[in-house]
Amino acid sequence: MSLVPGLGLAKGMALTLRRFFEPKVTVMYPEDRRDVPHKFRGRLQLLYDEWGTLKCETCFQCAQACPIECIDMGGIDTRGRYHVHWGAPETYGERREESALRRSGRPVPDPAYRPFAAVDLGALDGILDEYDHDPAHMLAILEATQAAYGYLPVAALKRISQLTGAWYAMIYGTATYYSHLRFEPAEASAQAAAVAAHRPPEGAYLAALDAALGKRRNPGKPARA
Amino acid sequence: MTVVGKSWSRLTLPGKIIFTVVPLLLVTTFVAVSAIVLLGPTIIDILAANLPIVRFVVAVTIVLLMTIPTAFLIIYMEMKVIALMNLRIGPDRVGPFGSLLSVVHGLKVLMKEDFTPTGADPIVFTWAPVVTYLASVMTLLVIPFAPGIFGQDLNLALLYFFAIGGLSVVGLLMAGWSSYNKYSLLGGLRSAAQVISYEIPLTLSVVGLILLAGTMSLNKIVEQQSGWFTDWYVFQQPLAVLIFFIAATAEANRTPFDLTEADSEIVAGFATEYSGMRFGFFFFAEYVNVFIISALTVTLFFGGWNAPFPWPWPVTLDLDPGSLGILLLILVAIVPLILTIVFAAPVWMISARIKGWQALIVGFILANLFIVAVIFGLAYVGLDWVAGIFWFLGKTYVFVFTFVWMRGTLPRVRIDQLMDFAWKWLLPASLLNLFVTAAAIVVARSVRP
Repeated sequence: MSLVPGLGLAKGMALTLRRFFEPKVTVMYPEDRRDVPHKFRGRLQLLYDEWGTLKCETCFQCAQACPIECIDMGGIDTRGRYHVHWGAPETYGERREESALRRSGRPVPDPAYRPFAAVDLGALDGILDEYDHDPAHMLAILEATQAAYGYLPVAALKRISQLTGAWYAMIYGTATYYSHLRFEPAEASAQAAAVAAHRPPEGAYLAALDAALGKRRNPGKPARA
Repeated sequence: MTVVGKSWSRLTLPGKIIFTVVPLLLVTTFVAVSAIVLLGPTIIDILAANLPIVRFVVAVTIVLLMTIPTAFLIIYMEMKVIALMNLRIGPDRVGPFGSLLSVVHGLKVLMKEDFTPTGADPIVFTWAPVVTYLASVMTLLVIPFAPGIFGQDLNLALLYFFAIGGLSVVGLLMAGWSSYNKYSLLGGLRSAAQVISYEIPLTLSVVGLILLAGTMSLNKIVEQQSGWFTDWYVFQQPLAVLIFFIAATAEANRTPFDLTEADSEIVAGFATEYSGMRFGFFFFAEYVNVFIISALTVTLFFGGWNAPFPWPWPVTLDLDPGSLGILLLILVAIVPLILTIVFAAPVWMISARIKGWQALIVGFILANLFIVAVIFGLAYVGLDWVAGIFWFLGKTYVFVFTFVWMRGTLPRVRIDQLMDFAWKWLLPASLLNLFVTAAAIVVARSVRP
């Protein structure tokens, strides 16, 4: 508070007049683009609010969206009840609460889940050497893998992805496209095929329904056979 | 098919257009020329007999038309200047440096739906912006732009100005009252309270000047300030200038007193229910008001159309282009060419990378600028109204810039601060100014009658 009335006004006016002549900070966006690194997504930093607490609400959206899964995080959920985590489960010693996991969008672990049996990946190295680690020969690699293991174990696919540099999703897509490639041992596939073969045909259900209901079931349309 | 029809069908599209438009033009021209020749003297006689009416009609038309580019210019200025003060670039897409943006704004407003809310009083609702707008525009009629360039030389011009300018409150009240919206009504009443409160110091601050000048005619007030800039009334009435400027800011609803439509707090106050061109008229009125207030400040206190210094050497232009005869035509044909080449040559010689045609284009532009400058200089020296308009508009836009500058700087006051300031500070100050001026005049007259 100055003793001279109006000095503050004069100072403010002088400031804006000075700004009037200063160089401008606008970036003419569609024409000029700032040179940012490839894959730049802004700064990864947790911000604090004015009371000094973290602004992060542990919503896991950043971790979920992270394309290379470099974010793993933990914290307390919004009601302060559970410690919740995102990332490799080995990282965290605490018990993971099912509700917190469900809220976080992660798949909730199934108690009936049995992990894959360990697969010896030694045979893969020879196969990949033979095809020069070239993803262009993916079909041949996959066929050789199936010949070696009898089926395509997920661990083998991941290893192939790791060593050839091809995306896992692409390898998986290739493997699912060809009907002679399978993800389970031949006997399991045969069992599933047998179950499918013994399922009654679709028309049988409709015929049974017709028999039970008389002719009252949707008389406008001819019953499908 | 007749011969005419056959020939018509053989014409191409441009041919069809030319064959219809050219005869139409010929006939129209013939009719117009013959009408002017036959009826012209009579019309001129009638007009000459009713010169005051003609002058009035012409002045009103010009003033109405003048407000549109003025408002566009000030709106553009506001956008650009505030942007530059905010370290932004501001409008730069439409036209050179974005200067046509306000025109596009105007077109946008014209195309918007003209909406009248259910329950609103349609007649009052429609006329409210007209009243506000006309109250602003009509005050322009008495402002002297230059010697001889004014609507009417009223001997009560100042009184007329405040009387008509005060009518804009009626428009605001009408808008608030007829909107069928209690917040609009509150906004209208608030604006009315503000504008009427500031009307008093505004008018009182000028009374001292009227005592000094001895007249209310704006023309005479301007003429009294001719000569050096020390003759301007700002040096005899500094307090009055301050009060007048502050009160005028509030009167024109400008920052820091723009409570009537405080953009960031209330939704446009009295104009909440307005849309389209009806809102546009309020908007226009605000910017015309800025121009008018600046113009009146210049007229009353800053010498109006007088240059700040008398032209130091007397110039009498004794040009008689007619005496050149046929040489005039040759000069008109040749001088632009010569000038273009004269200006293009140094540009061409600057660098080997500048091609001949590029240099010629630059030379052409420079030559045109030169010619315009020469013509303006001759007009400034030879015609006193050109000089007058130059100085008047120059000074006025300095004040317009100040208004914009204030809007870019000052925060808005509260409504109680606003009222306090008007009644507790400006009113006593203007009364003090009046008494001191009156006393000074009495003393001066008794000392040196």
